[in-house]
Amino acid sequence: MAIVKMKKMYLLGLKKDLNRFLDALQRLEAVEIADIEEEEGGSSKIAAEFSDLEAKLSRLKFAIEFLKPYTKEQNPLLYGRPKVSLEKLRELSSREGEIFEVVDAVYGLEQRLSRLKTEEGRIGNQIELIKPWEALDIPVEDLGTTGRVDLKAIYVPKKNFKGLMDRAKETELPLEVIPVGEGREDNLALIVYHSSVRAEVQEICKEFSVNTEEFSGFTGTPAEIIRSLKERLEAIEVERKNIKEEIGKLADKILDLKAVYDYWLLEKEKKENLQKMADTEKIFAMKAFVPENSMEAIKKAVNSVTDVVYIDFVDPTEDDDIPVLLSNSRLVQPFEIVTELYSLPSPREIDPNTVMAFFYFVFFGMMVSDAAYGLVLSLLTGLALWKLKLQGSGKKLVELLFLGGISTFVWGMVFGSWFGDLITIKPLWINPLDDPMAVLYLSFAMGLVHIYAGIILKAYKDVRSGNVAGALMDEGLWLVFLTGLIMLAFPATMGIAKYVALAGAVGLVLTQGRSQKSIIKKFTSGLLSLYNVTSYLSDVLSYSRLLALGLATGVIATVINTMARMLGVNIVGYIAMVIILVVGHVFNIAVNALGAYVHDSRLQYIEFFGKFYDGGGRAFDPLRMKTEYLDLEDS
Amino acid sequence: MEITLGQVFALLGAALAVFLPGIGSARGVGMVGEAAAGVVAEDPSKFSQTLILQALPGTQGIYGLLTGFVVMQRIGLLGGNLLPLTTHQGLMVFAACLPISIVGLLSAISQARAAAAGVGIVAKRPEEVAKGITYAAMVETYAVLALLASILMLFGIRLA
Repeated sequence: MAIVKMKKMYLLGLKKDLNRFLDALQRLEAVEIADIEEEEGGSSKIAAEFSDLEAKLSRLKFAIEFLKPYTKEQNPLLYGRPKVSLEKLRELSSREGEIFEVVDAVYGLEQRLSRLKTEEGRIGNQIELIKPWEALDIPVEDLGTTGRVDLKAIYVPKKNFKGLMDRAKETELPLEVIPVGEGREDNLALIVYHSSVRAEVQEICKEFSVNTEEFSGFTGTPAEIIRSLKERLEAIEVERKNIKEEIGKLADKILDLKAVYDYWLLEKEKKENLQKMADTEKIFAMKAFVPENSMEAIKKAVNSVTDVVYIDFVDPTEDDDIPVLLSNSRLVQPFEIVTELYSLPSPREIDPNTVMAFFYFVFFGMMVSDAAYGLVLSLLTGLALWKLKLQGSGKKLVELLFLGGISTFVWGMVFGSWFGDLITIKPLWINPLDDPMAVLYLSFAMGLVHIYAGIILKAYKDVRSGNVAGALMDEGLWLVFLTGLIMLAFPATMGIAKYVALAGAVGLVLTQGRSQKSIIKKFTSGLLSLYNVTSYLSDVLSYSRLLALGLATGVIATVINTMARMLGVNIVGYIAMVIILVVGHVFNIAVNALGAYVHDSRLQYIEFFGKFYDGGGRAFDPLRMKTEYLDLEDS
Repeated sequence: MEITLGQVFALLGAALAVFLPGIGSARGVGMVGEAAAGVVAEDPSKFSQTLILQALPGTQGIYGLLTGFVVMQRIGLLGGNLLPLTTHQGLMVFAACLPISIVGLLSAISQARAAAAGVGIVAKRPEEVAKGITYAAMVETYAVLALLASILMLFGIRLA
């Protein structure tokens, strides 16, 4: 259990060396620069540089994301991220003009593509519009009036069309309507009339809600128009293909873009920290938190830049906001995510991970409790750890499941469960289906150990902060009282159990009200504190889930086996049987591993952490070589 | 073979244990799925986190099936020779099925509410998803306890 001890570092140096200091410290990844409170805000020059950087980054990001679908990249999960050295990065960023030409080209291509897409959509609509007129063999520019005769293309709602035709036939006006085709909701027609009767015809048109199609902007017959539009569509397709080819050529540059992006990302991180420092015209001052064990390395790195520097390490004071860095053995590390997901320990308390990891490991296996499932789980996660390049919390989670699989295997042997009842191997201890009560008692016993550990850690914490009396009176007396109550359950110890429990209870009644002023209040709140025994009782009962989830795994596995066996009568049945077995057991492993993870976490969070843990720490976040696309090689 | 009233009661218990929690889980998983779809529409990368939350109210249905299966096994339905249960024995089996049937149904829906609210956590602060899962898991406790009670009762009843 270790929270790494932090020191506060003050660094004073010449401003001209600042960038080299930052480079050196960034490489070390062991310095978290803190804000020095200053009267005035950050300098506007830095702010301007900063927004300039952000603009660059967002342009690069856009280009990278745009080019991504055109590159054949190896999956970073399988092959890891491409590696690049810092020198290469520097060299690339010095050719920044060239890189941004690529970015500009990408922007240009993207615009052309989107313009083509807009045009394509527009042409599609036009074709839709003109298509019904295809049968019309008059060039559309000839429509209109010749002076004596008006010739118009019209569309009429379908329900009115018959009426219009009839009227045109009946009327004595010099008017003719020639049907051309049908649109979706309208009938299309050509209307011809003598110009002298225009007013009357317009009257009729109004009556039947006739509209005129103008074909504005087009020439030629509708069929010709459609043909030329389609030609344009084909041309667009060709052009798009060309653009994509050009993009394909640019796609080779994606690695350079990524490299430059990562370079600027590193610069941005430095700039961000620049804003936290104080400076005069020539000198800067930096305040930072550093892990105690990195002090020497930091001194060395700083001195390698220049001698003209003042560096000092001091212990943090009470009101410093110290960041938290955990240092645990390799075996405990995977379990850190359980605590991290709850809350990091506060910098002034103890790291619960080692104790928690032990219980988490034991409980996980007991909740899944099938030897074969444990093997499968460990094999799969082991394979993933071996073959996949996992990082960060994803890696920790897979490692956690790997260890959980081992625990599951052990418990499965204890309970004699191999894929449920598929393979019969004598249990090392007992099959929970035969004697669930025995396993229930075991669950309670393990819960008690867990709870005791929590109380003892609380006592340890009190002692550490100098409150020895509190440790004895609160945690000590509760331990006595609870132990007495437990002893009552066993015939052998029942005799003295009464006195132990009574001693604990009396002690609690006498001490728990000590913060109260009046003697009566002291007594009543002492008496009331005994009521807490119910919360301990419900805590212990909560561990019955260890049995319940274990039973659930076993019984579901048995259900799967029974279903499969029912089918094993002929060849087809055997195939179906195998499918049911594989799918069923994989499903069961997944559901129960999730259940075990969730319920195990809950036991830690509520029953265990509830006893002693405060949390609320802030993770140590040093200035580091944090890249997005590439891995930096050591150089 | 004559069918006794006891057998009918026992089977009724098994049926209840399967279908009531099943209904609860189906509703619950559906509710969380609706909430999750809204979040994933905004940010598809949150699929796996919301999927875990969606799976949580699904366990009650499994517990119910499990209890039903234990009943079927205990009364010999699966082996093909159904035990000649008396009415009292049948009613005892029926009673043993009640905890998981009723608690399973209601807790699945309550858990789904908590999990759907947890989906809100994923939407705003995806790094805090474990807290949403823990809230939902708090509800699950009672389904686990009911399952335990049902199973212990079923194993405790003498049928042969």
